[in-house]
Formats: sequence, structure tokens, C-alpha cells
Amino acid sequence: MSVSVVSVEKRFGDVVALAGVTLEAREGELLVVVGPSGCGKSTLLRCVAGLETVDAGTVRIRGRDVTGIRPAARNVSMVFQSYALFPHLTVGANVGFGLVVRETPKEEVRRRVAAAVELIGIGHLVDRRPYQLSGGERQRVALARALVREPDAYLLDEPLSNLDAGTRVEMRTELRRLHREVGATMIHVTHDQVEALTLADRVAVMHAGAVRQVGTPDEVYGRPADRTVAAFLGTPRMNFLTVGDARPFCAVPDGAEAGVRPEHVRLDGEVPARVDLVEVAGGDAYVHLSGGLVARVAADVRPVEGEDVGLGIRREDVHLFDLETGRRVEP
Amino acid sequence: MSERRQLALMLAPYLVGLTALVLVPALVTFGLALTEYDLVRSPVFVGLDNFRELVRDDVFRRAVSNSLVFAAIAVPLRLGAALGLALLLHRRIPGVGGYRSATVLPTVVPDIAYGLLWLWLLNPLYGPINTLLGWGGAANFTWIGYPLPQWLTHSNDARAAIVILSLFTIGEGFVVLLVTRQGLPAELYDLAALEDVTAWSLFRRITLPLMAPVLLLLLARDTIFSLQATLVPALVVTEGGPPLYSTTYVPLFVYRNAFEYLRYGYASAATLLMLILTAAIVLVQLALLRRYRLGNG
Repeated sequence: MSVSVVSVEKRFGDVVALAGVTLEAREGELLVVVGPSGCGKSTLLRCVAGLETVDAGTVRIRGRDVTGIRPAARNVSMVFQSYALFPHLTVGANVGFGLVVRETPKEEVRRRVAAAVELIGIGHLVDRRPYQLSGGERQRVALARALVREPDAYLLDEPLSNLDAGTRVEMRTELRRLHREVGATMIHVTHDQVEALTLADRVAVMHAGAVRQVGTPDEVYGRPADRTVAAFLGTPRMNFLTVGDARPFCAVPDGAEAGVRPEHVRLDGEVPARVDLVEVAGGDAYVHLSGGLVARVAADVRPVEGEDVGLGIRREDVHLFDLETGRRVEP
Repeated sequence: MSERRQLALMLAPYLVGLTALVLVPALVTFGLALTEYDLVRSPVFVGLDNFRELVRDDVFRRAVSNSLVFAAIAVPLRLGAALGLALLLHRRIPGVGGYRSATVLPTVVPDIAYGLLWLWLLNPLYGPINTLLGWGGAANFTWIGYPLPQWLTHSNDARAAIVILSLFTIGEGFVVLLVTRQGLPAELYDLAALEDVTAWSLFRRITLPLMAPVLLLLLARDTIFSLQATLVPALVVTEGGPPLYSTTYVPLFVYRNAFEYLRYGYASAATLLMLILTAAIVLVQLALLRRYRLGNG
């Protein structure tokens, strides 16, 4: 086990940021913590780094209890959303900063900086200053700076959130490749579910200071542990149906509600409905239907607004959640 | 209305004030510098006579050298104090608001009141400063055996007094540096914490370089200020002496020539020379600033 937090609590005044979080990133794993703004995911990362002290619980890195230890002694590297590059230093000096302040011999600094910038593909930028770089290049510099130290774990705090859409996709692939090459433990925090699902070995979904589910991207998307996780992951969001609404499609036990992903609402079934609105998002179309259901279909087979369609939902595509607790109910 | 026009309109009140209160008087000063004028009779054109006399005037030369020495000592001390206090008081700690107010307060006290206060503080017979320094020592000596400073009667002590009283009016620089420090990205300091940076290294490698552009601007600004701000303390506290001229700075020289000796033309010429000297010093500093200027990244 590489990085773990056990029953970690953190409060800021009256606000509970972390309500007893237990989570583990396994050795060499890319764990993505995802959740809406303010769910405590960045606070969790800062607690692991030691930038925030915890009110209760323990933080372990490679089996060592680091709960009360200062950040520098934890041997982790962090990448920030705002890149956190020193504007007065060149790219090379930024990358080598951690080595220089630790008084690493000059020759070794030079060698390790060269290796890191080569790995990230920014060798041609070493003499530039941060203000001469694009957002993507700046984040690459920040990644190289994290790499050069060869830490026990990498903590990435929304590293792609400041980038434009195209660069974000490119950097996502880059991160995945980098993780494969370096093979280190990485904890990546994001509010972007697509980023989480495409990047992660495992995903931890957080909500209101608590971890709601940990699992592979397939698990958290395909078998959400509760209503909150089900609603957070997926675009458009999952349809929720009461016992009555679901009756034409399948039987739902009392005290539960049904959840159906929009891509599982078929438009070639028997239950009549009218198309209220159609949103086209590139290759997909989001079809808003009378009764509040949303279906996701390929854009080239989308119905027109006002058209009457027949709906169908397969029993095996229905998720059941307890109405009171929100927990998943197995049929 | 075009945006250009709107901007021009908004700028107009300031431009009117600048013209009426600064540019016109400056031009008049330039004209008067070429005359002999006693504020009673009409000015008489004398060409560059005033400047020739100034160059040979021992008192003026002492005033210039006093002003430069004062600026050379007071400016770094003032900036250092403002920077130190800004770094000390930028954090949110209990009572920090009170400390910040206390730092700014002396700056908002009117010059004359501030000067009179120091006249009392520095009084050799009953002033609290010498009372404190003399604690436990023999009469007129400090407890470690040094004679007590004679702030108002000894030339070097008097010069030191003017520097010391200038060290408490650093409110403006303090506020600017406080805001600058608070504006530095917190992530840079988070990163430093992860990289095992010592406090001194943090200051030298991160805080100081990031604040350098503002510090250099303040350096230029404080130099201008220091070359002008000696008038009231020198007039009220040390009266330009003691003995003769040891705290006569250029502003006091100008004041006395203009309003006590009624040599308005001569005072105007001295003002112009000081303006040129100040501009030269500031230009050198700005050239330095340009070398240190960072990108907007």
C-alpha cells in the first residue's frame, strides 16, 4: 500500500471539509478523486501533502505514518491548477528548484533536469520564462518539476482545469502515458467526470466531505453505489423514476426509485411519449421527452421535436436506489 | 460619445488641476530663476547669474550634500522597515489590524504636529528618549558609559534625529508592500513548503525577487520623497542647525531664501537644480528597474 488516509477529519471553523475519509491509493496506481466543487477533494490532497493539518485520523505514505510530519519530509510532489511556476526563473530553474534548495550537486541537478524535461518533451523550452509559455507548456513544466524529485507519490490538484478543451484532452493522454512510464503512485483530483473516467485506474467519488464509492471507472459508472454517485457521473445525468413513473417499463419495489442512464432509454419501444426538445452535441443528441425523461441517441438517428416516439427500457439497465438512504438496492 | 472622448472628459479635471497647480507654477519658477525678485519690486532679468552664484554658494553645496546623505541613509532604512513590517504583518493573526493601523498612523499626522512631537521627544532635559537612554547611567551618560546624544545641539546627532524621525512615516510604502505580499500566489509558498525551503531561502529566492519590481518603484518614489520631506522637521525640530547648516537641506535652503531673505529668483534657481538632480537619480533607478522587470506571467 502506498498512500492511505484513515478516518481523516478536517474542519474550517463550522464547515466540515472532511468527515472521516478513508481512502487508499495502491502502489503504482493512478487514483482519481472526483467530485463537485467544495466536496473536500482538494482539502484531502492538501492533508496528504501536509499543507493542511488533520483534526483526526492518520495519513500514511509507503506504510510510514506521516500525519504529524512537515510537508517537505513526506517526499511527495504536487502539481497545482495554477501551475505555481516562479515567474522570475527560467523553465530549467523552475524544474530544478526542489533539487537546488536541497543543495543537490550542480552536475546532478543538470542531469536530472535534462532527463525530466526530455521525458515531458519540453527540452526546447528550458531557457524560456513562464510568461513566454502557453498554458499547456506551463503545466508540462510543472509536471517536469514534480518528476525531477522522484518522490514517493505525486499529488495533482486539478492540473488540467485551467487548460482549453483541446489542450486538456492532449494533456490527459500525456498524463496517462507518463503514469505508465514512471509507474509511480499518483492521486489526481478533478471535478471533471470525463477526466476521471478516462484517466483513472480507480476512481474515488467524493461528496460533502465523504468518499461515496471507490472502484474502477467501469464499476463506478456501471454500478454506482448510491444515488449521488449515479447522478454525478454521466452526461446527461441519470434519469430517476418513481415507482409509478417506472411502472410501464418494469416493476420497482416500494421504498425505492429507479435510475436509468440516458443512453439506455430506447426510442423504438412501446411506451408512447412526445419529443419536447433535441440538443445536438456533436455525434450525440440529447432527446428531452414528455414526462421528464432524457434519452441519448446517435445524432444521425435523432427524432425531430414534436415527434411521437415509443420508449423502451431493458430491465437489466435499471438501477434501483433506496428512497430513504439513497443506497443501491440489488434487484 | 466615443470611448476616447469619454476618457478625455474623465481625465479633464485632473489635467486642469495638474496644469494650474503644477505646470504653470513650474514654468513661472523657471522664468523667475532667471531674475532677481524680492516679492515687492518687479523681477529684474539677470540671466544665469543665480545659477553661477549657486554653484559657488557654500551653503547651497552643503544643503545638497546634506540632502543626498540623508536620502542615501534614510531611503534604504525606510524601505527596509516598510518591507520588514509588511512581511511581518501580512498574515491574518489576532490583533494584526491594530498593528497595521499603528504602522500607518504616524504617516497621517500633520507634519507640523509630528515635528513638534519630536521636538518634545528629543528634548535633552526632559525628553523621554534621553530619559530612557540615561536610565542607570551617570548624569549625561548612558548606562554603558556613552555620552547621551545631544539631538538638538550636536551636528551628527541632529542629522541622526532627522533620519530617525523619518523612519516612522513609512505608512504608504508599508501599505503598498503589504498588498503586494498578499497578492503573491499562495501556491508558490505551498510549493516551497513541499520543497524544504528555509525561511531565509524563501525570502531570498521567492519573496524578494517577486516583490523586486514594486520595491524598485518604491525606491524611486521614496527617493523623490526623501529629497523633499526634510523641510518641516529641519525647520521645526533642528532649525537647520546646529551649529550652522548641519541640517540645512535643499528644501530649507529654498524656503529661507524665498521667504526669509526674500530672494525669490535665487530660490527658484535652487529649486530647478534640485529638480534636475532628483530627475537624474530617478532616471538611473528606473533604468535599473527596467532590467529587473518581469513578464506578466
